[in-house]
Amino acid sequence: MRTIWLASYPKSGNTWFRMLLANLASDSDTPADINELPRRGHIASSREPFDHVTLLDSGLLTDDEIDSLRPLVHAELAQGNLDDEDNIDTEAPPVHFIKTHDAYTRTVTGEPLLAGRLGADGAILIVRDPRDVASSWANHQSCSLDDAITFMNSNNAEMSGGRRDRIFNQFRQILPGWSGYIESWLEQRDIPIHLVRYEDMKADTAMSLARALAFARYDVSLDAIKRAVRLADFTELQRQERAKGFREAPRAQRDGNFFRRGEAGAWREELTPEQVARIENEHAPMMRRLGYVPVTSGKRAISG
Amino acid sequence: MHALRNIGFGPGPESKVHLYCVSGLAVASDLALPGLNGLEAGKATPDAFVRAGTVPEALDGASASGPTWQLAGKDFLLRIPGIARFLLHDGREITYEAEAGSDAADIPVFILGTVFGILLHQRKQIVLHASAVQVGGRAILFCGPSGAGKSSLAAALSQRGYPLLTDDICAISIDAQGVPTVHPDGRQLKLWTQAINRLDLGASRGARVRRQLEKFYVEPEGTRDEAVPLGAIYALFDARPPLEPGIEQPNAVEAALLLRRNAYRPMLVHRLGQRAGYFHAATTIANAAGIYSLTRRLDFADMPNVIGWLEQHWRGIGLMEKAA
Repeated sequence: MRTIWLASYPKSGNTWFRMLLANLASDSDTPADINELPRRGHIASSREPFDHVTLLDSGLLTDDEIDSLRPLVHAELAQGNLDDEDNIDTEAPPVHFIKTHDAYTRTVTGEPLLAGRLGADGAILIVRDPRDVASSWANHQSCSLDDAITFMNSNNAEMSGGRRDRIFNQFRQILPGWSGYIESWLEQRDIPIHLVRYEDMKADTAMSLARALAFARYDVSLDAIKRAVRLADFTELQRQERAKGFREAPRAQRDGNFFRRGEAGAWREELTPEQVARIENEHAPMMRRLGYVPVTSGKRAISG
Repeated sequence: MHALRNIGFGPGPESKVHLYCVSGLAVASDLALPGLNGLEAGKATPDAFVRAGTVPEALDGASASGPTWQLAGKDFLLRIPGIARFLLHDGREITYEAEAGSDAADIPVFILGTVFGILLHQRKQIVLHASAVQVGGRAILFCGPSGAGKSSLAAALSQRGYPLLTDDICAISIDAQGVPTVHPDGRQLKLWTQAINRLDLGASRGARVRRQLEKFYVEPEGTRDEAVPLGAIYALFDARPPLEPGIEQPNAVEAALLLRRNAYRPMLVHRLGQRAGYFHAATTIANAAGIYSLTRRLDFADMPNVIGWLEQHWRGIGLMEKAA
């Protein structure tokens, strides 16, 4: 079995990509159910697979203790040793895609958190214009755009961490800013990377998907890809969310709009020039590297 | 706690030996295990022993292993890096050795959880990841993974007058007549500060479970010592789409799967060859008691509603008198 990470900063198209994969896996003409995305181990930071293979209660471990065990856990999981289902081998797809929002970091002993080559055969890194990420993240977190930008500009932000008085169902995920996150993946040399831009997925979904699947060595016909693209159309995802809710949406948003706009370039209507400048001041080098052209003039950037 | 002295046990004559009841077993330990009821000296012959000693880094001839454990015949090695290593032999003997630089106070909570879970599996018992309370003379279990809300629900029910039977780990025995029973051990609850505050349990708060965690032992309102016949098992679920809130009874196949998935730990069921035992237990339990799913929003504000549904369900299945 091959394992491929689906790595992305939050709100960059990871769920859409997983829905495309879910529709590829089925040969029916009915769209895959948004609530039937794999429930267990669907994200690298899940608590349950860790507890399952270590036999430990991760709720009794500190974030650092958990991180120091994660390389061993990801290496174990890549072997397919879940052992909890009777028919896991016969039904398993040829490639195991696992979402992750973890930056590519190393533990205190210098091991890659995600276990390098032992944890996966490669990673598909999905990136999106940070100006569009900002409004989507604000919606997801029910916070202001300014707070969303502060989070994206922070080089030591994290998710599901920080509070020690309760248990989260996911482990701490280190998010060293939008640029820092992407750089951590692009700069690592442990595993091959395939870069997918959200904007290219919007422009030609079938082509983007076909290239990513070729990278993952997932053998599938162009017809099947075209059908998956049709079945995972954004309006279909929105329709399902309105009808039934989306289990992965934040609690405050269960009847809301996880699948919000799904557009490329909506930041032009949603962000003030000052907000655009705050993002571009922080992220211009990585934006240029990925082909996202900053619009803030030098003068505004300084005053912003 | 009652301490025994000089029963030929422990590293030296000065060492205290404690005797505890753990899931129905009498356990002699040279390490104090907070959160458990002590047994009086001479009341029971120990079924199992916990003592300090040398524990290897690895086992020879391991037939199965994971990131933190190895299995070789009657020996099971568990290593929690930076905390301790534990060697379990034949469901009777637990040897522990602290890892370099560790805090000895961190060891007991792992003995009470994973280590006893392994020991009970070595003894071929059915062990669930569950907290339990007593209702009308029967044991009611709530099971689910860490973070599912087992302890919080048991704490809230304990506040409402249902005695706590166990927290987090629950052994079930099935006697010759096919009656499943639960062994309480007077364990204290383990709760996060958030739960303690939301349930207004600050006055019952005891010691920290570990120095680094905002998680504490909490003395329940009442406990029981005697084995209690099993009344019902509820698997806890978060009410996320497409799951709707409520109590449901799964079919026999799903019930068997629910029981095994909520074993403490499913990996042990598989690796210690107990799948058939869990399957038979599920049939027996489904007939003698009942296996249900309880789906609710994971929100303390909903706790009174959830308790209301449970009490209504208990009246419906004859565990409680119907209201006049």
